[in-house]
Amino acid sequence: METSEKKIAVVSGGAGGIGAAVVSRLAQGGFVPVILDRDESLGREVLARLGLQEGQGAFLLVDVTKKPQVHGAFERVRAEFRRIDVLVNLAGGTLHAKLIQDFPLKEWREVIDANLKSTFLCCQAVFPIMKTQRSGSIINTASNYGVTGSATRTAYSAAKAGIIAFTKSIAAELAPYGVRANVIAPGRTATQRVMGQYDAETWAAKGREIPMGRAAEPAEIAEGVAFLAGDDSGYMTGQTLHVNGGMVMP
Amino acid sequence: MKRLEGRVAIITGSGQGIGKAIALGMAREGAAVVIAEIGEANGLQVKSDVEGLGGKASAIPTDVSREDSVNAMVEQSIKEFGRVDILVNNAGIYPVSPIEEMAEELWDRVIGTNLTGTFLCSKAVVPAFLKQRAGRIINIASGRALQGAVEGAHYAASKAGIIGFTKALALEVAPYGVTVNAICPGVTDTAQPRGHRTEEELYAMAAKIPLGRIGQTEDLVGPAIFLASDAARFVTGQMVIVNGGAIMW
Repeated sequence: METSEKKIAVVSGGAGGIGAAVVSRLAQGGFVPVILDRDESLGREVLARLGLQEGQGAFLLVDVTKKPQVHGAFERVRAEFRRIDVLVNLAGGTLHAKLIQDFPLKEWREVIDANLKSTFLCCQAVFPIMKTQRSGSIINTASNYGVTGSATRTAYSAAKAGIIAFTKSIAAELAPYGVRANVIAPGRTATQRVMGQYDAETWAAKGREIPMGRAAEPAEIAEGVAFLAGDDSGYMTGQTLHVNGGMVMP
Repeated sequence: MKRLEGRVAIITGSGQGIGKAIALGMAREGAAVVIAEIGEANGLQVKSDVEGLGGKASAIPTDVSREDSVNAMVEQSIKEFGRVDILVNNAGIYPVSPIEEMAEELWDRVIGTNLTGTFLCSKAVVPAFLKQRAGRIINIASGRALQGAVEGAHYAASKAGIIGFTKALALEVAPYGVTVNAICPGVTDTAQPRGHRTEEELYAMAAKIPLGRIGQTEDLVGPAIFLASDAARFVTGQMVIVNGGAIMW
């Protein structure tokens, strides 16, 4: 198949725990995954593990909080692959968890930029491409904390709530062009980064607090992303899909 | 690979409209389907449509508002197919009525079919689901549950009730690996809105929907199959809102 006929999926934060699972799932679904990430060795490892050769996947070293880098990256993807069918914005994370009185403004900005601004910049960069195609599906990543809030995670919760409202807004803007935008909201997910914060016993106890008795596997989040990326959700836009084992039911 | 191979799915109210589309869609994905439908002729027609696709189907005349009818339907489904894995509570009615004219009998009928029917069918399959430690319940709610409906107070109440019921049941059965979710369609091109809306009104509605059209029954099939499939095994107690962006929740 010619490169230009293949469906292209850009995944920001594609080298991370959920990111790798999403890249794998989208590749399995026939997409050519393009990873945007700050961690080059991890990102290339994700592609290598999937056995993707040149043209079947790509890695671009990008700090998605920097506008010139983001716009440059999307230009390169357009030049090489001619189209972008799916954009998954996964970059981000809690980064800093502190009580409000101890939360430095610098760290607040880091959290907002890593999660919310990166989502804005990537959506802005992909917009002209998807608009011209008159098709596309954007999946932004929130969190159950974007709905419930979380003590010590003020910045992260604000950023994630911001992503939900931002997504609704662009969904309305993009709809006339046949482009959809939805949110995936993972609950607690068993990535190495998250599990590394707990000892085994605490992790198991945290799992029991969830109605389904455990944290999500990254692959289960990836299935939700694949649903929102594909035609099965063709009449959905501006919505949030929570994959959290019943942890939060907004 | 078919996503529902070997599964048995009961779809209520599947003689027409959204339920019929879901039944055909699930059959295409390999499920044996039970057409639990009050209208016998419609039910038999869908059964023959499914068989025409090479699928397995049974049409069981069912009044979801009556416990004996529901229990007999579930019993017969298990007898015919040996098991049940998926329940789609789709049967519903929407007889429009301004509140001041809304007879108690009409209120009871709407709540009885839409909400009590969902309860009765769920209750009837849950023992089997808990025993096999697997099962999927998909309740068809509505955007009206979120934003209300003029001349549809009974309907909005019944659909909001379905959402509360979905969350409560999801909590109850989660330890068994059983999931319960709701799909909220927007205005969908079926006999229901066409019964009380003119073509012009439907066009006007479509113009206000971000994706530029009202829903087709086929739009609900992908989300229903997703929720019924292994892919959604960690999704429970949630609303999947399929309305072209008409309401963003």
